[in-house]
Amino acid sequence: MTRSGSLPRYILQRVLLVIPMIWVILTLVFVVLRVAPGDPVSAALGGKLSDEALDQRRAALGFNEPLIEQYWDYLSAVARLDFGTTFSDNQPVLQVVRDNGGATLSLTLAAFLLALVLGIPLGLVAGRFRDTIPDVVIRMFGILTYAAPVFFVGFLLQAYAAKPLGLPTSGASSPITAFTVEPVTHILLVDAFLSGDGAAIEDVLKHLVLPALTLGLLVCGVFIRLVRVNILQTMQSDYVEAAEARGIARGKVTRRHAFRNALVPVITVIGLQFALLLGGAVLTESTFNWPGLGNKLVDYINDRDYGAVQGIITVFAVAVVLISLLVDIVNALIDPRVRY
Amino acid sequence: MRKKHLLALLGAGTLIVSLAACGDDDDGDGGNGGAGGGVGEPWILGTTDTVTALDPAGSYDLGSSSLEYNLYQTLLTVPANSTDVVGDAAESCEYDDPQTLTCTLKEGLEFSNGNPLTSSDVLYSFERAITIQDANGAAIYLLGSITDTAKDGTVTLNEGAIETPDDTTVIFHLDQPDTTFQYVLTYPGAGAIVDEDTFPADEKLADEEIIGSGPYKLSQYKAGDQAVLEANENYTGDNTGGAPQVFVKYYSEPSALKLAVENGEVNVAWRSLSAPDIADLEGNDDVTVATGQGAEIRYWVWKVDGPVGKDAAVRQAAAQVFDREAIAENAYDGTVDPLNSIVPPGFAGQKDSFEETYGGPDADKAKQILDDAGIQTPAELTVGWTPTHYGPSAEDEANEVERQLEESGLFDVTLKSTEWEQYQTIYKEGAYDLFMLGWFPDYPDADTYLSPFVVDGGFFQNGYSSDEANQLVDAEQGTEDPAEREEIFGQLQDLVAQDVPFIPSWVGQNTAVYGAGMEGVEDTLDPSFIFRFWLVSKSS
Amino acid sequence: MRGVLRLLAKPFTETAGLARWMLVAGVAITVIFLVLALFAPWIAPYGFAQSSADGVRFPKAGAPSGDHLLGTDRLFFDVFSRVIWGARTAIEVVVLSILICVAVGVPLGLVSGYYGGWMDRILVMIMDALFAFPSFLLAIVFSFLFTDIIGGSVLAVALSLSVIYIPQYFRVVRNTTVSAKEATYVEAARAIGASDGVIMRRYLFGNVVQSVPVLGTLNAADAILTLAGLGFLGLGIQSTDAAEWGHDLNRALADAGSGIWWTGLFPGLAIVLLVTGLTLVGEGLNETVNPTLRRRRLLPVVMSARQETTMTEGGN
Repeated sequence: MTRSGSLPRYILQRVLLVIPMIWVILTLVFVVLRVAPGDPVSAALGGKLSDEALDQRRAALGFNEPLIEQYWDYLSAVARLDFGTTFSDNQPVLQVVRDNGGATLSLTLAAFLLALVLGIPLGLVAGRFRDTIPDVVIRMFGILTYAAPVFFVGFLLQAYAAKPLGLPTSGASSPITAFTVEPVTHILLVDAFLSGDGAAIEDVLKHLVLPALTLGLLVCGVFIRLVRVNILQTMQSDYVEAAEARGIARGKVTRRHAFRNALVPVITVIGLQFALLLGGAVLTESTFNWPGLGNKLVDYINDRDYGAVQGIITVFAVAVVLISLLVDIVNALIDPRVRY
Repeated sequence: MRKKHLLALLGAGTLIVSLAACGDDDDGDGGNGGAGGGVGEPWILGTTDTVTALDPAGSYDLGSSSLEYNLYQTLLTVPANSTDVVGDAAESCEYDDPQTLTCTLKEGLEFSNGNPLTSSDVLYSFERAITIQDANGAAIYLLGSITDTAKDGTVTLNEGAIETPDDTTVIFHLDQPDTTFQYVLTYPGAGAIVDEDTFPADEKLADEEIIGSGPYKLSQYKAGDQAVLEANENYTGDNTGGAPQVFVKYYSEPSALKLAVENGEVNVAWRSLSAPDIADLEGNDDVTVATGQGAEIRYWVWKVDGPVGKDAAVRQAAAQVFDREAIAENAYDGTVDPLNSIVPPGFAGQKDSFEETYGGPDADKAKQILDDAGIQTPAELTVGWTPTHYGPSAEDEANEVERQLEESGLFDVTLKSTEWEQYQTIYKEGAYDLFMLGWFPDYPDADTYLSPFVVDGGFFQNGYSSDEANQLVDAEQGTEDPAEREEIFGQLQDLVAQDVPFIPSWVGQNTAVYGAGMEGVEDTLDPSFIFRFWLVSKSS
Repeated sequence: MRGVLRLLAKPFTETAGLARWMLVAGVAITVIFLVLALFAPWIAPYGFAQSSADGVRFPKAGAPSGDHLLGTDRLFFDVFSRVIWGARTAIEVVVLSILICVAVGVPLGLVSGYYGGWMDRILVMIMDALFAFPSFLLAIVFSFLFTDIIGGSVLAVALSLSVIYIPQYFRVVRNTTVSAKEATYVEAARAIGASDGVIMRRYLFGNVVQSVPVLGTLNAADAILTLAGLGFLGLGIQSTDAAEWGHDLNRALADAGSGIWWTGLFPGLAIVLLVTGLTLVGEGLNETVNPTLRRRRLLPVVMSARQETTMTEGGN
């Protein structure tokens, strides 16, 4: 399936692929949720009501319709961007996404930044000095931050680092800050800056430190290893060997050629780590009581709140797909070999 | 290089923050004004309960009712540490006869938006709750005496069931003698009064927009995150004296809530800290652990129409070796109280029937019971529990029950657990001989622990059916005389202890943990589980 | 036999210095856990759901002592035993899930890559969608499905893990197949009349399967983290079904605030160690198997003596 590369055509192909990919995820989630026993009604009221009462409520909510019909209703609603209202807490799903998406966004971005700032330089150093002590130390750091479960690290920080550092143990802000800051963008950090209220900004930043650190360390470890492997591969490549053969010192080769070229595939791979970030965000949010979409997702899954779960997963799917689309396009811009 | 740009950004960010902090004159103590009266400082309540809906027509759970008790008025209510009903929006409600209840509203009642509260609002509230028939709402389940349920499940308000001859009079015509109805009226999910000009007649109102006539009004609501309540200037009732602002913060993990109350991030933590957390906080000097009587119970249900449960002797023998003190101690670190009757203490007419009938755990007596009935020992038994609905200590309790039954030498137990969703279906289908359930009262009357359980198999369909039990329930629901009702409750509890359709395990304590400067928390910890914000205040 | 041994020894012989030590360390750690898992009934002093011995009940949340090397937890279970039995659970779940992944993903990738066509395109799209999506979220959703249907057992959790990892095996095998099937030797095989099945089994399989061990090891590391994450959220395996580190960590959260550190520290350390070990092995294998990473040994160049020149490299 090789065609001559042309950027607009490539972009179009990738954009068209977005829709089927999202559809696959949605269908999968729909099937799994409906096939699994249980439904929102019995999750909420099973301990209190008789079977007939439960059944009546289920019928009223349309859960006894044939699956195909429910599926079709669901798809057509999604196409209209109507995600309905959650069953377990009476909130329009889009409002849930709007109110909580900002928190997840700020957490993942902060963690991502931290991981970049820490991970890329460390990975470069490790790759450059392969099989030396710095390399081993950095590699072990990368592996350990990946191996330590996010909730373990988060919990350790909460229990032993929060008080000494004067940092809060949970939440995205104090209730007072959440009350007084005007929700313009619904991203608390941005809104706090916009409001100009110094106490609020400080409060929000303080709450962000530990969760971002926890998630950031996890991703940082992955970045270190990825960057390192890419550096190694680049250093083995022919043009590097050629440059060395011409007598250019190792250091200059590394800085001028290898780093820059190694970072190109790293962009791709880092973009793909977004999925890892989201997965880790769920556990981080749970540990730190962070009011984000990941936390909500787990709650809604426990409540079998179909509408809510499907809505949130749609948002996640769209985000992941868009990010990978972006990454692919950036990659195609840089590297002409990629366009097919 | 990328690194440089990032450093620059960070530097700029820090600069902005420090500059902004210089110009800060607000200590962050509640920005928006408009808070009317109120005593003392704003305070923060932390909880792990979840809110289903703040529109009464759509709620039937404690998380929602906790806020609703403070935001709305009901016709009647239960004052702290009492089982009498007193008037809230109503001056009083009297039974003309066991099927007619007349309520007289107080004069000059207003909602927080200034609209007057009259009998038409009361009628509207009931009508819309029944029309909406929300799956999560309490109205259609608790208002059986003024509604009719059709074959397909549609619930309609009985014709003429609610009469409003004038602005301050509401008359309820019940379709059967039902003296529990006055108690049902105290529950916001069934009887909260909403503003007919604000709430739609056929669908729920969005949580952030609700209007009530209670001592507080809702100033901000972020589902699953926090709610902010401020004193209602238009409130004319007696429940005043609380803080001008109350923040309610929602936590998904009890351990996070515990850390928060330890570090002073919340002033009061109420529901639900785990048993080890509470035990640990008791040793902490910065906070106080206050407990009052509770009303949440845990009980073990027999599948009476199953192969093992059908023998009364087996059920009685198990009740004879059941050591609820050990459960309370080992599984819950003493943070719950052993429960000796299906009705917990604090409700009029309660008696410790199981203790009276069986005394302490005694394996020999139990063996006697089984031998007398000719049951072979050890009797094989499948015991079921669920890990995902009753908290982590449910596991401890299930293990403990298994141990007790087996150590008596009389039972051979297979312990099984299923996730809650499946559990609810399969326990009704007979997957277990003995299984764990929990219960929360719907209204402050012993009937709420009896009629849903003993009448024709109960809501859990365990196959227990007793004419005597049915008659007794009808009798207590049909008479208004408190002494007579208490007598009947006693008989019912004795009957339960005799027939053992289920074994009560423990009753939870109503526990709250609060930090420095908080007053009045103990006053609201009673079996009704109403957290009365107006009783609590914070001094700086 | 010698050939196989030589193959197994390649990672060791072809690396040198610190890289080799890291690989060795990884293998050692993994082997220790494997031994713990295999011989758990003999190594662990008590059962994983055992709360008393000789009629004496264990202390509740007792500190490490002579009888209980790592203390006991609130359910009266011995922490040391549960850590060891937890190794067995982890290894069981992970091995089972990898077996399922390989059994399903490899043939699927092979067949799909070989035949191509619209079936291939559809499969690729599905697998890509699954692969791109946060695997942990999918694992949560699937674990609900499987534990509801077949109960909270090792099999249910293993199935959930398999579902999210199959796409990786599929992609790798399919891509390798697609490039390999154009190779000359395949063409030659076709020319001598080999059927599709034979080509796939005998010629392509050996080639495409090379990257599976690396993938499998790194996957195992991730699977253990996912398993622990699920256990932490309270999904899947309960205390009395089997010992699981993530579940124990979840229960230990409440303890740490009360100064009870041993219930959480040791399961946590176990996870960290095993995942580290597996990752070291996986990365070490990667450095030998992956040709772009392989260290090329520089042969010393011996040149005849020559006159000093005036030209030197003036770079920095």
